Amino acid sequence: MPEAGSQAGGEALHASAYASAHALFGLDPVWVAVSLLLVVYAAIMMEKFNRAVLSILGAGLMILSGVLTQEAAIRGIDFNTIGLLTGMMVIVAISQKTGMFQYVAIRAAKAAGGRPWGILVMLAIVTAVFSAFLDNVTTVLLIAPVTLLITDALGVNPYPFLFSQILASNIGGTATLIGDPPNIMIGSQARLSFYDFLLNLTPIIPVIMLVTLGLIWLLFGRSMRATPEAQKLIMEFNEREAIEDAALLRKCLLVLALVIGGFTAAHALHLEPATIALFGAALLLLLQTWGQDLHAKDKAFEGVMAEVEWTTIFFFVGLFVIVTGVERVGVIAWLAHKTLALTGGDFNATAAAILWISAIASAVIDNIPFVATMIPLIQNMAPSFGGPEAIEPLWWALALGACLGGNGSLIGASANLIVAGFAQRAGHPIGFLQFTRHAFALMLVSIVISHAYLYLRYLS
Amino acid sequence: MHASRIMVRDVTTCGPEDTVAEVIAILNEHSFRILPVVDGDGRILGAVNTLTLLSHIVPEYIMEGYLQSVPFAPDIGLLRKHYRELLGKRITDVMDENPTTVREDESLLSVTAAMIRHDRFEYVLVADEERRLKGVISSSDILRALDRFIPEDECDA
Repeated sequence: MPEAGSQAGGEALHASAYASAHALFGLDPVWVAVSLLLVVYAAIMMEKFNRAVLSILGAGLMILSGVLTQEAAIRGIDFNTIGLLTGMMVIVAISQKTGMFQYVAIRAAKAAGGRPWGILVMLAIVTAVFSAFLDNVTTVLLIAPVTLLITDALGVNPYPFLFSQILASNIGGTATLIGDPPNIMIGSQARLSFYDFLLNLTPIIPVIMLVTLGLIWLLFGRSMRATPEAQKLIMEFNEREAIEDAALLRKCLLVLALVIGGFTAAHALHLEPATIALFGAALLLLLQTWGQDLHAKDKAFEGVMAEVEWTTIFFFVGLFVIVTGVERVGVIAWLAHKTLALTGGDFNATAAAILWISAIASAVIDNIPFVATMIPLIQNMAPSFGGPEAIEPLWWALALGACLGGNGSLIGASANLIVAGFAQRAGHPIGFLQFTRHAFALMLVSIVISHAYLYLRYLS
Repeated sequence: MHASRIMVRDVTTCGPEDTVAEVIAILNEHSFRILPVVDGDGRILGAVNTLTLLSHIVPEYIMEGYLQSVPFAPDIGLLRKHYRELLGKRITDVMDENPTTVREDESLLSVTAAMIRHDRFEYVLVADEERRLKGVISSSDILRALDRFIPEDECDA
């Protein structure tokens, strides 16, 4: 593929390739870089190895083979993404122990008066809102067990509830800069602020959520019934009992408010989101054990660190190096040129292609490596469309496609797999086809809405 | 010592047609904790004990440990709901289909080991070659047997 490009007049490809890299044993760096990327991606898809180990191995080989120097590799790591992810993971690890999620879920179910459809809607909205600000996987992992408890009391099938929560977590995650890893990467590398996401992506999310819920009603909601005794049982849940540590909860809410406020104001203050997230994390770590002795503080710190998903963090580190290697040898620029040639350099067609390709790709493969590859590709298109400012709609197309595409199948996003695994162990297995046949259609509807939104707001 | 020496021979049983409600009535009436389920020929089909029954009223999502503490749930309401559903079921739907069984001529050592390996039952059923129920041995039967056979002087030491 890259060779074809080099023969077909891709001077840019070879010029940059040989200027920046000299591969081991006279191997063509273009081939080394592309092979490493493909082998690592294929190995991730096999699901036989830890993906962080694979990406770090790939990154190491990128340096050992001479495609990148260590300095170039480290410059390629987006520490803003890494810092933001780590900071938010620490805050979530501490917050989840307070019982806050359970409290809100039960409160929402009771607010619906014990009616099954009302409860489904409330739990889906709670999931979407939490996912918009916190990690999707944590959100569903905390809401799903409470959902089983509630549907058990109601005497209804839990599947429509879990189904709607999977969709809601991916839809809600699309809404903000910190909602989903693809958005964190896009925001960081395209230099878009939390406020930019709020202004450009958030408005369309309630529309998508509403339409999705409407379709779920047609699929499942119409036939949901619960007896008066079951509804009474729901009202007997006592959400106050869910709060495990009221003092810690107050500290968490304070830090969460500061961090979200900080994200909103970050651009005006010339601060990067990673600074705010890591500062918030450090502040919460300090407050969490305030007044305890040093030994207890050390233990608590180590406990929180053990809950940070280091697999995800190191996966990102390795991935950034691999993508930098492929970019360095000019393959990404070549792909960008090819894509532009296909869309005829038409901005609308390019945006539509990014939206739809991202959606379909994210339904099948992990959207994190996909977005990591797409970001430099889109950056390379900027000159053709009049600079970084002009291509902003392309970033929204990528974010909408990659995040919402996760709803396209049971393996489309980590939250989907987590809920499916949990449901299986809890005796309510979710089948791949059972999920995908409804979810894929609903995902397509959300992409049609996104397409219309992008067209009306930025294109035409 | 053979299993047949310490087993209780006169065992109350229930049949495959009995409902859980009927079985619970028998268990409560005699303060039994186990009831073998046998067919018309006295062959063992399974067994129920109090723990088997309780395991059917605790949902799997609680057993899986995702909700380690659920102080906010209406626990009595939920458990009673499952309990009422359980009462109407056939005993064959909830019984343990593979209760630990030993032969009459098995040694007390292997009987004890078999009992420990099965973590939900404090009983073993004693059966002949055709799985016909001959008796029941409980963990306390074994302890009592050991006590009885320790000579007096060793006890004092």
